[in-house]
Amino acid sequence: MNVFITGAAGGLGRAMAVECAKRGYNIVLTDCDEIHLVQIKNGLLRQYDINIEIIVCDLTNKEDVDTLIKKIDFLNLKFDMMLNIAGIDNEGAFMSRKYDQIGDIVKVNVEATLHITYEILNRRNTPFNIVFVSSLASQFPMPLKATYAASKRFLFDFALSLGVELKESKVSVLTLCPGGLATNPTVIEAIDAQGFFGKATTNRLEIVSRKTIQKALRGDTVYFPGVLNNLFRIFNNLLPRQMVANLIHRRWVKSQAKWLNTNNQSMANMVKTPITQNLETKGVI
Amino acid sequence: MKNQTDKLVIVTGSTSGIGFAIVLKLLESGYSVIGVGSKAESCQNAKIKITAQNPTAPVVFYNANLANQQEIYALAHNIKEYLTLNPNLKLHCLINNAGGVRDWYMTTSEGYEYQFALNHLSGFLLTYLMVPLLKDGIVIFTASSSHKHTRIHWQDIMFQKWYFVLSAYKQSKLCNVMTVKELNKRGIKAFAVDPGLVKTDIGNKGMTGITRWFWNIHKKSGTDPEIPAQTYVYLCNRPKSLGLYYYNSKIASYNKEVDKDSETMRLFALSEKLCGISYKERISS
Repeated sequence: MNVFITGAAGGLGRAMAVECAKRGYNIVLTDCDEIHLVQIKNGLLRQYDINIEIIVCDLTNKEDVDTLIKKIDFLNLKFDMMLNIAGIDNEGAFMSRKYDQIGDIVKVNVEATLHITYEILNRRNTPFNIVFVSSLASQFPMPLKATYAASKRFLFDFALSLGVELKESKVSVLTLCPGGLATNPTVIEAIDAQGFFGKATTNRLEIVSRKTIQKALRGDTVYFPGVLNNLFRIFNNLLPRQMVANLIHRRWVKSQAKWLNTNNQSMANMVKTPITQNLETKGVI
Repeated sequence: MKNQTDKLVIVTGSTSGIGFAIVLKLLESGYSVIGVGSKAESCQNAKIKITAQNPTAPVVFYNANLANQQEIYALAHNIKEYLTLNPNLKLHCLINNAGGVRDWYMTTSEGYEYQFALNHLSGFLLTYLMVPLLKDGIVIFTASSSHKHTRIHWQDIMFQKWYFVLSAYKQSKLCNVMTVKELNKRGIKAFAVDPGLVKTDIGNKGMTGITRWFWNIHKKSGTDPEIPAQTYVYLCNRPKSLGLYYYNSKIASYNKEVDKDSETMRLFALSEKLCGISYKERISS
């Protein structure tokens, strides 16, 4: 079993790489973060007897993708599964961001995902599985996360249609729609700022990575982890979209203010200690 | 105060809690100290707190995220450089105190479970890297009495099936005591210290909701960090002490699992593999 994973150097992608390695699959990992790619490769090779290729690639850069494809063809690789994990979220109100930050969301989450999916589909074995990572956010209109939620909605609908198109070619497409995933300390802070519901809608990383592969192999088409998240989704379908948008806006305003507030405070502390400004991050103090 | 500033002690996780108290006690007893903290800002603050009282205190702080093995290598490099620049200093003791709890399953850069990597592997690897400098020096690990109520979960050592914060914590602390046992077999004098229940923020960092609330209540019945810090200084002053596991400067009893050679040797071998190192080669060279 050969698996291609994007966004593999951190967060969900890394957890998925661990899960695949544990199952004994051979994996090709790609990410733009070379240092962490090398580290995860070392970590996995120390534990599992599998083949791992790492390819550093910025999926939004056409030349990078061309080089990646050339490398795959040179190695004469064909794949049985593809996990589209790479994605970004520059959270915040539309007009509070630089345009590039907004544009990048669409470039990475939508354009780059389509491009790499197209190329890998041309290098597939039969049967083939694809996983797209959408989000619980794809189910709601989300003020203050408007572009992100819409980009995830794009993937949600696209995946569903693609699955139908390719059904007869024995390609099955699964869309994963997680709530929060506590992948690093910063995310934990953000979850904490959202209070009870933040924690309640957060999914367990170890469970999500395991079940996603299970469900993909079984031929499922969507996976919403967590009971509460499913309730939200069903409830949401009963309410008018305008009302949902208003409700969500009210909630985000509160939790973002709290989150920004705690972060700004620690930033303010940094400024108060003048020596910090010239500090080498990993140097002696 | 005895003048023993030529004796250098390294304390990891030393910008708050028990680690910070250890640094203060060591300086009081006349040792030179290298502190290690995960955030540049907290290193800065710790240094300021100390030099405000005593501007010439022989202490420096290094900033390193010990959950990331590359940063452990960088730290070891910095320490070696520091010792080369200060040839009058001799490494007397390494205190592997850094540790933490995480509510959620998280992976490190190498794809290992976070608590296993931070609480166990980091000290394991740093000790290995310090072996050439230690000579007659000693190593101390911060363990916990909670290690007594568990065993090594060989079938799923990284808790990928179902992660529970306390199970992972207890196991990581058992790993500390087992490491101490195996290091002594290899001629490296090592101790484990049970600090008891201490009023620190360990249960507040990286935690959310109920667990944090529980810790806030639980820690009220704990001691101040100065109490356990005495045990560490006691061992630094008497590096030839005979025990393996200490509580309140006295030998205490530990988990019987630690006396099972098959268990400790298996853990040691696995840890070497996960760090990509071999103690045997280093000690013989």
